Amino acid sequence: MDFTVFAQQIANGLVNGMAYVLIATGLTLVFGVLRIVNFAHGEFYMLGAYITYFVGTLLGLDYIAAAAISAVVVAGLGIAANRLIFWPLRRDHEFTILLSSLGLALLIANGGELLFGADPKYVESPFADEVLDIGTVTLTQQRVLVFAAAVVALIAVYLFIRYSRFGKMMRATAQNPNGAALTGINIKLVHAYTFALACGLAALSGALVGPTVMIFPTIGNWAVLKGFIVVIMGGLGSVTGALFAGLLLGVIESLGGGYISLGFMEAIGYAMIIAVLLWRPHGLFSTARGLR
Amino acid sequence: MNTNSHGQTLAIAGGVAAAAVLPFLSGNAYLEHLLVLWMLYALLALSLNIVIGYLGELTFGHAAFVGVGAYTSAILSTQFGLPPLLGLPLAGLVAAGFGLVIGYAALRVVGPQFAILTLGFGAILFTITNHWVDLTRGPMGITDIPPMAIGPLAFDSARPTYYLVLALVLATAYLCHALVSSRTGRAFLAVRENAPLAASLGINVFHTKLLGFVAATAIAGIGGAIYAHYIRVITPDIMGVHNVAALIIVVIIGGRGTILGPILGALVYIGLLESLRVAGPLRMVIFAALLTGTVVFLPGGLVSLWQRWRNSNKSENTQPATPTGLPSAEGGAK
Repeated sequence: MDFTVFAQQIANGLVNGMAYVLIATGLTLVFGVLRIVNFAHGEFYMLGAYITYFVGTLLGLDYIAAAAISAVVVAGLGIAANRLIFWPLRRDHEFTILLSSLGLALLIANGGELLFGADPKYVESPFADEVLDIGTVTLTQQRVLVFAAAVVALIAVYLFIRYSRFGKMMRATAQNPNGAALTGINIKLVHAYTFALACGLAALSGALVGPTVMIFPTIGNWAVLKGFIVVIMGGLGSVTGALFAGLLLGVIESLGGGYISLGFMEAIGYAMIIAVLLWRPHGLFSTARGLR
Repeated sequence: MNTNSHGQTLAIAGGVAAAAVLPFLSGNAYLEHLLVLWMLYALLALSLNIVIGYLGELTFGHAAFVGVGAYTSAILSTQFGLPPLLGLPLAGLVAAGFGLVIGYAALRVVGPQFAILTLGFGAILFTITNHWVDLTRGPMGITDIPPMAIGPLAFDSARPTYYLVLALVLATAYLCHALVSSRTGRAFLAVRENAPLAASLGINVFHTKLLGFVAATAIAGIGGAIYAHYIRVITPDIMGVHNVAALIIVVIIGGRGTILGPILGALVYIGLLESLRVAGPLRMVIFAALLTGTVVFLPGGLVSLWQRWRNSNKSENTQPATPTGLPSAEGGAK
């Protein structure tokens, strides 16, 4: 086996994996705190990529500013979606919530196709064409940025959940919503901001990954599937689980695609979740209810 | 109650008679084609309804079984020269076989995990279909599939196909009706409403669910095979996310856990799909909005409108509005 190729595959896998982690973190936060399996999560990723594109081309802002604006805008959209759909349904059966998130996903994806057109677009980034050599591994600066920004964002989210006052409120709500409400925590606010945070993270990953690929309105579908695979492997509601599972999935996919077959690469991820769900239905890293 | 069931029988007979003369009223080939599509979607939706409506589990893999049935019959007839009439039950059997294996694995988990697992299995079947070019011709699809025929009677146009699918829809509807009133069907509903309680009453929850799942996949396979022999071209798109969403939309808009619901939902779906053809991509936005709106505002679907109206009428005439009708319609829609 050629070591250079191997190292390159690992590096590519880690970059992809880090993007998966960023997508999955939002998904797992929403499940942990709001108890919603949000099929529409990928659509916020798609919106993140598109808003970055439009802010960049229409307003002429630079890439970093466009990405930041898109994360904030999508977080706002997340608050609206939660207020209109998920908050009123919070006491309903899990089935209803699943279906409503599916409806929202279809709504945003098809609405996106209507608004943005089905043809692929390229998000402009000054880092997309610059190359960085690290030892024998070659990566575009954009891919390095995906990894670095994701790490920074994840550390920030971790510290926020762990130490901030609001983070503690989130964890309390995740453990026991009624108990949290009894101690005076505003559950409605926690739900709204958790959902906004998750959507912002999804948009950020869309904005980061956007310049490395073509974007089209159906990428949300791809994103949510990857997110689900990671979240299921790591355990629904587990942030640390998502971190390990995401990197693992990225590397396995990269090696599988490089050494076995690119066509069946997609199926590898599904085969992995099927194995995990059958062997440990609550994920590889699950222990008890709550955010970890 | 007696007059009620008498009225129901009359209504059903009237409905069937109306369905039987419909092709003669439509008068043109295009409308007849739409009638076939309506019945096909009704058949597939009825099968999906067994899982979504009676078992209360959301499956995202149903279109994959439709595809398995379609491909089984198409490959058998184009590559092995098997008459499509034999291909039809074989398609059902093969789809049921896949349903047995996948259901055996997936039904160990419930709720969101089950939904995601079926999504995963569906995606794997799609990927295999798309890449196993030697068998399925991959994205090129299978063309020149021969039409179904029983002896001299060929189902090569819309009208005979319509009657064939109508017969299957009626058979499936009757099957669902018989199921719901049988002990097995009551076990389905008990499992849906409260699985631990059902288990404590001696119902084998896993076997009950597996039975429903396999029955649903078998019907989906047969529906897929008829589709293949009617349209005569199939591509892996038949297993795609688009089709999954369409079937779920049909069942939910019509009313899950009822027999009339999926048939009505299919009518609304095909009707809107065709009448809004000019709207292009806006159609799917409308369907998505309808799905979301139905889930939030009308959990029982379109059929529950009638039930609501009847209940409100009753509460005016007699007093307390007792929730009558199917044990399923509203309780399960929550």
